[in-house]
Formats: sequence, structure tokens, C-alpha cells
Amino acid sequence: MATVRDGQGSEGAAAVAVRGESGATAEQTLFAPGSAFALLRLTGGQFLLYAILLILLIVTFIPIVYLIALSLKDNGQIYGRFWSMPDPYRWENFALGSLAIWRAVLNSILTSGTSTAATVVLASLSGYVFARHRFPGKELIYTGILALLMIPPILTLIPAYVLILNMRLENTYWALILPWTSGGQVFALLLCRSFFATLPEEFFDAARIDGASELQSFAQIAVPLSAPILVTVAVVRLVTTYNQFMWPLVVISSPKKQVVAVALTQFTSEIGVTDLGPQMAGYILASIPLVVLFSFGMRHYVRGLTAGGLKA
Amino acid sequence: MGLSTQRPSNKRLFSLISSDKPLSQGSGLSGLRRAGKTVLFRRAAGALALVATILLAVALPLSAQSPDGQLWDRPATSRVQAVAVSGDGMFVAVGSRDNSLRLFDESGKLLWPFEAENSILGVDISPDGKWLAVASEDRFVYLLDGEGNVLWRFKAARPMNNAAVAGDGSLIAATSDDLSVYVLDRERNLLWQKELGIGVRAVDVYGSGEKARVVLGSDDGLITIYNREGRELLRTWLDYSVESVSVTPNGARILAGAGDGSAILLNGANGNHIWSFPAEDTVTSVSLASNRSGALVGALVGALVGSEDGTAYLLDADGSVTHRFRQESEVLSVALSADGSRLAIGTVSGSAGYYDRAAALSGAARSSAQRQRTLFALLGVIALLVLAAVWAARNTAAGQQVWQRSAAGPIGVLQSMWSARLSYLLILPTLALLLTFNYYPAFSGLYHAFTEWSPGVRTEWVGLANFQSLMENRFFLSGFRNAAILVVVSIAKTMTMPLLVAEFIFNLRNRFSQYWFRTLFVVPIVLPAVVEILVWNNIYDPAIGLLNESLKLVGLEQLTRVWYGDARVALGSIIFIGVPWVNAFALLIFYGGLISISNEIIDASLVDGASTWRRFWSIDLPLLMGQVKLLLILNFINAVQTFELVFLTTGGGPGASTYTPALELYYKAMRMDRMGIASAIGMILFFIILAGTVINMRFVSSSTEYEA
Repeated sequence: MATVRDGQGSEGAAAVAVRGESGATAEQTLFAPGSAFALLRLTGGQFLLYAILLILLIVTFIPIVYLIALSLKDNGQIYGRFWSMPDPYRWENFALGSLAIWRAVLNSILTSGTSTAATVVLASLSGYVFARHRFPGKELIYTGILALLMIPPILTLIPAYVLILNMRLENTYWALILPWTSGGQVFALLLCRSFFATLPEEFFDAARIDGASELQSFAQIAVPLSAPILVTVAVVRLVTTYNQFMWPLVVISSPKKQVVAVALTQFTSEIGVTDLGPQMAGYILASIPLVVLFSFGMRHYVRGLTAGGLKA
Repeated sequence: MGLSTQRPSNKRLFSLISSDKPLSQGSGLSGLRRAGKTVLFRRAAGALALVATILLAVALPLSAQSPDGQLWDRPATSRVQAVAVSGDGMFVAVGSRDNSLRLFDESGKLLWPFEAENSILGVDISPDGKWLAVASEDRFVYLLDGEGNVLWRFKAARPMNNAAVAGDGSLIAATSDDLSVYVLDRERNLLWQKELGIGVRAVDVYGSGEKARVVLGSDDGLITIYNREGRELLRTWLDYSVESVSVTPNGARILAGAGDGSAILLNGANGNHIWSFPAEDTVTSVSLASNRSGALVGALVGALVGSEDGTAYLLDADGSVTHRFRQESEVLSVALSADGSRLAIGTVSGSAGYYDRAAALSGAARSSAQRQRTLFALLGVIALLVLAAVWAARNTAAGQQVWQRSAAGPIGVLQSMWSARLSYLLILPTLALLLTFNYYPAFSGLYHAFTEWSPGVRTEWVGLANFQSLMENRFFLSGFRNAAILVVVSIAKTMTMPLLVAEFIFNLRNRFSQYWFRTLFVVPIVLPAVVEILVWNNIYDPAIGLLNESLKLVGLEQLTRVWYGDARVALGSIIFIGVPWVNAFALLIFYGGLISISNEIIDASLVDGASTWRRFWSIDLPLLMGQVKLLLILNFINAVQTFELVFLTTGGGPGASTYTPALELYYKAMRMDRMGIASAIGMILFFIILAGTVINMRFVSSSTEYEA
């Protein structure tokens, strides 16, 4: 067993779960001699592990396979021949589904993207200030911000909704962008400050000697060096806001401005799609932004959530 | 070695608060420090002024809001069942269940009260305010003059439920629970009566003298226009019972409120539908207003629709909403002045409000009471912040340093604050956003949990009444039980399956299969959370769902059922969603924890001859305590706030069997407009989460430290 797990040194202390994702290390031994025949040399215990994992994997994938199968059938095929494969494949379901949800997907991308960008800018700026500057009341203010981690969204939901009503922002993109920008900052600030604090002081001293202003040393030294943590913040915020359901449900009433998570649930009532196939196709299409995001940012996502959670 | 992994997780938030981190080391301007007691006061005043300025800046957009243009509000002791406004808006008649009819003038001054022998069910006032027709449960219809003197009364076999009077008082029409309509002249002569044989309570009158007409709507959806002699001039049908009608003075337009929650505008000449407006519940009362002079005399200018959904909708001539007057309870009666500039709303909870339309629309007006309340709320928040600051300065290390240093040299602090102005400027946007969208709502929620809160209408301190009513609310109590079950199940799900799978994958000897299994188990994370629930809705579909079809396929037809519709299995069905519950995120966290356990420890256990089972309990699990704690608390927080999972599946039903507190909060706030009670639910959940977090941190971290 130990021979298999070599190369996983003890420096794991630095990251908790991140390295679980670093699949690159696995590839080193993928094509090692003998590994192709490993399956043939299974012992009883290993065989049992494989069997259980395979069964669990199949059960996990049933809903996804079901979703894909339904998305390629028309209502006649679903009701008439439930168990048969789609025949013919109704690819036009995807065209119909995309017609129904493209607008909601755009709304989601627009609001998530804007609020994430704003969060990253604001949090990196204030993270830099909290990490590098000295000013009276710094720790007090920082503690005050961190205390917000203890406030669950359910407590602020109704008052924030009333606030949005009073500001006459209901049913606008601002009703999503502003609170999401604000809410994301706490966790982002936590990550940014601790990251900026690790940057060596010498860099900034050198910049100062060369005559760089504060903002210059922020933009040209701190930001480039902290790209990984900023990407992590961005990925976590994008995924979180894209999945948001309750807040858009409360503040957005017009189907034209609704985000995708809510729009999907209003397929029949608001958008008027009653056939199952296009609905399921819509569900799949709505996942595409997340597929893109996770395909390059999964590692960042897990690191962000873990670090945020563990540090809080 | 692997133990260092847990270090950061053992740090509690509270240790951050009370951290002994060195504060910024001095101001660099210590030479300027000066001691002085008097400055202490100045400093305190300055700090207060600063906080107040920030808060005012935050609150400024709030104070620009419109309180619906309310002119006055008369809370009555019992439900207000009838309101009427004279043509010029000078007089407002309010009839309520306590048998009283009260006439107010424009400014809300009581002109005279009138007592019937039973509750007042209907009232109408002539445009000049000289004639009032009053229908009462005491079976009489009364004709009053402008001073409140009873001119005459007329008795039916059953209670009179509504009445209308012509502009010149020459004709009075009254409907009664004896299923009849009575039409009388000014001298109490019965012109005609008609037994309809079906419930009737919608009546209005237009025209005057010989040309007066009666418009009648009944429970079978029939709307009829009669002339003074009782001859039918027009009849038209609606699909639902007619609860209320209103007609313009020239009879050109008739607005009917129907039992299905729609308000339908009809052409008075031919009975054609012009437009229809959907309210969310039965329309109890409607009123129309039209131009009184100018070129377009008689043209419709607006309509007011009161509904049991607790809102009075002000519509324009095309039937689009121009303003919503949200009330704290069902609206029973509404009235518009003839030109539509003033309006009155009476509700179940016993309030009669009088509003100015122009002010409501422009949002300029704001009653002084409203302003005072906001001011008090603001002062309260300031006081709380000041108290918190004092507490922090007294009790935290960081605060004490600030305190001591500033006590030693306040000018030095001001100096250093000034020299650090760039720092403050850079964090200002962050702070402004957090204060507005996070801090303010949090305090607002805690405060309004103790109020009867109808934003823009009124906010009334009710103490613990919201909590008491929650204790008797079966939906909330059932929600609590369900939330407890969901918390336990959610934690059990996350602590078993992902850990098991992570351990299995970890124990595979083949690198290649380890990689692929891990990747494949993580794939479902790309589905948005909502999509997973929606797909499972489809799996549970009683008609064509995968579950029922599978049961039929294997011959277990007797087990098929309406999964969400059966109170015994509904909650179970919701819990079953996502089987086999290998949560991708939890799996990655556990797996990451496992591979960061150092090889030396595992090798040592192998040398000692420990079985895999023993290794799991004695090495893996204790070393995974940080991950366990993290997932425990994240799951707890999420499960307490469960909303989508129930909202999108059963909606809380059948009955109250799958309610959760968050769902009840949503319904209370969004469907019933009970913001106060919703805030109270939010507050309760907040304290539960707070308690859970604290317990989790203390309990689990101490056990970790023991293990370490």
C-alpha cells in the first residue's frame, strides 16, 4: 500500500483538501509498467471495493442518464414507450429549450459576473489595506466585518428585501448585483487578507524606494502575485451566485429579468413550455456555464470553500 | 505531522475576536501625544458624530421612500367592513363591525358617529356628501343626511348587506341576505323589489332623478342594469360570482370584482369586457373614478380594487397597476373619490386608511409618525453600535489597546487617522456596502421581529406577540420538527456515504482507478442545485416518473403512489432525493484529508499489524476531525435554512407535513405580507444557528485537541 502512495509527502499540512484534486500527480504512474494489468491481479478485498464503488457510481448517475434520455424524447415517446431508448433522437428539443432559457442564462451570467468582478476588486483592495496598512481601529473594523460570517442569510432575507423595495430597486439587476457584491466580500476579504499578509515585505519596500505609489504597488505587485487567490474567490462566488435561488425568487418578479435557477422552475407557468423533452434539454443547457467553470476551476472551488470554512 | 492540518481549523472565530495579535505598532507620531481629560469628551462626541454621519448617509436613500401617501389612519376596534368617500374627497364614511358608522372629514377629524343595532355591512355616500345609505346586519337600510340624522329606515327579512344611493338622493338601492334587492325613493316609498333567489351583495347606482339606474351583481355571475321602475335594461354574465360592482356617474363603464380574484371592466352600453385585472385572491370591493370636468368628462381615470390577498390595487384606465397599497390583513372595502384623487381602504384588522393618490404615486408624502419611527429605529441602531464599540473597547485586547492609546494621546490618534486617510478611503466602498446590505438588514431584522411590520404603511411595536403567535402556528411547529429531522438526516448523509466512498477510493491499489473513480463521483457537481431537485421531481412524478415506472416493471405495482401527495411518505421522499448521497464536495474534502495523512503514520500502523478497520477508527477518523467539523457546521447551517428542497417539491404539503421554518418565513413574508412574523422566524433560526455553531466549535475542537 505504501508503495502506491509514495510521492505524497508530508507537506500536505499546507492545504487540506486541495491536493485531492491535483490529478496531475496521478498521471506519473498511469502508464507505469504493470498498471494496465492491475485489474487482473485483484484480490478478494479489492474486488469488493470495486464492486461497491461501481454500484454507487451507477446509482449516482441514474438521474443524470434519465435527464439526458428524457431530453432526447418527445412526449409521445415518453408516455408511449417509457423504457425504450430515444428513437428518433429529438435534437430539436435542445433548440426549443435554449429558446426558452437563453435569456435567463444571460441574466445569470450578467449578474453573477458583475457582482463577482466587483467583489474581487473591492475585496482585494480592502484585503490589501488590512494586510499592509496601519491605521487606528484596524483590527476592530476587521473583527466587525468577520462577525458577519455568523449572520445567516435567512435573518437578513426579509429586511434586505424591504431595503430593496425602499430603494425602488426591486425587479432590477441591481437588486441582485449589489447584495451579492456586498455579501461575497466578507469571505473574499478573509482569503485576500491572509494571502497578502504572506507576501514578503521586501517587494513593497523595493517598490517604494523606486518611487511607486501605494496604488501602484497594489496594482503592479500585489495583484499579479495574488492571482491564484483572486481566481479562487472568483470561482467560488460565480458558482455560489449562479446557484442562488431564494433571493432572486424574492426580488425579481419579471420573467424577462429572472435568473436561470428560478426560471427553470417556472418553465411551465411563465415560459409556457409544457413538453418534457425541451424542459429537460433546458436543464442540461443551464448546466453548461457550470461545466465550463468547473472544468478549469474545480481545484480553486474546493480550496476556496475549504479555506473559507476552516479559517472562519 | 499531519496534525498541523488541523491547526487552522481549531481556531475559533471568537479567538479571532479576542485575539492577542499585536495591533499596528504605534502611530509614528507619538511625539505629539498629549494627555487631557477634556479632550476625552470631544473624542467621544466626535466618534458619535462620525457613526451618526455614516448611518445617516446609509439611511438617506431609505428616508426617500413613500409611505403610500397616507393622509391618516384610524385603527378601529373591529373589522372595517364598509368605507365610502364623497365625490370631492371631503368626507369619508367608515362602517365597522362594532355597529358604528363614523364620518370623518378630509383631515381625519371625526364629524359624527352613528350607531346601528348591529354591524355595518355597506355604506354609500352621495358625491356632495348630503346623503348616506347605510346597510346593517340589524336588517335595516338607513338613509342619513349630511349631519348624521336618520331620515328613515327600511326593514328586510334578513340583514341588509349593501346599499347605494343616487347622486341626488332620489333613489336608494339595498341588497339583503334574503336574496332580494329593494329600491326606494327619497321618501321611503318602495319603488320596486325583486327576489333573485341567489346571493346578491354587489350594487351601485348611477344617474339621478328619473334617469337613475341600478347596477346589480349576483353570485351566479349575472350583472344586470335596471331602470327606476325595475325594468331590465342590460344583462351580462361573468364566469364567477360577482362580489362587488362600481359604475361611473354616466354609466359608461362598470367594474366588477369577482370571486376568482379578477376585476373586470365592462362597457355599460353593451356589456362587453374591456379588460380584466387579476388579484391574488377574491376581490372584495371595487371603486371607479372618472373625469369630472374638461373635454373628457366622464372618461375613466382610475380604479381601486381591494382583495382578500391583503392589497388594494390602484389601476389606471387601462387596467395596469399604478400602485399597490399593501395592508396587514385582508382588504374588505375600498372607495375612491369621484375624481380618483383620494382613496380609502378598510381592512379585517380594523384599520381604515385614507390616502392621497398623487402623493402615493410621487412618493413625496410621508406622515410624521412614519418619520418618527424611522428616526427611533436609527437612534436605536446608533445606540447599539455605540454600546458595541464601548464593549469592544473594554473587553477585547485590540479594543483596549486602542482605548489606552487614545486615552494617552487623542490628538495623536486623530493625527494618525488623518495620515492614514488613504487607508480609510480605500476600505470605504467595502464598508459602505457591508453597512447597507449586511449590517443594516441584520439589525433591522432583529428589531422588526418585535413589530407588526407593513413596510411603507406602518410599523408597530408588539413585543413578543409575534413569537407567541408562532408558538400556536401549526405550520411553524411542524416545520420545526421537520427541520430537526432534516438536520439530523443531512448530517448523517454527509458523514457516512462520502466518507465511506473516500475511504474506499483511498484503499484502491490502482492509481488509475483511484483517479477515475474520484473524478466520476465529482461530475454531478456541475448540475445546478435546482436542476437536481427538478430531475428528482420528475423521477417521483406519479403519472410518468421513473420510480413508479420501475416499481411497475418489477411487479410491485401496489407500492406505487403519489410520492409527494401522501403525508406519510412525503418527507421521506424529500430525504431520499440524491440517493446514494455521495456529495461531491464532502467527498473531495474527506479524500483530500485522507491523502494528506503522512505515510509514516500509516506505515507504522501496518508494521504494528493494524487491520484496515482498526486504522480507520484509530488513525483516519481522528485525523479527519477538522474536515468532519467543517462539514458538520456547513451542513447544519444549510439544513436549518432548508428552503428550495421543500419549496420546489411539495411546497410544504400535504397539510403541514413537510413545512420547514424557512418555507413558512417565505410564505408569511411574500404571500401574507406579515414581515414582522417573518422577521421573528428569521431571528429564531439565527439564534439556533449561532448556538449550533458555538457548540460545534467547542465540542468538536476540544475532542480534536484531545486526539491530537
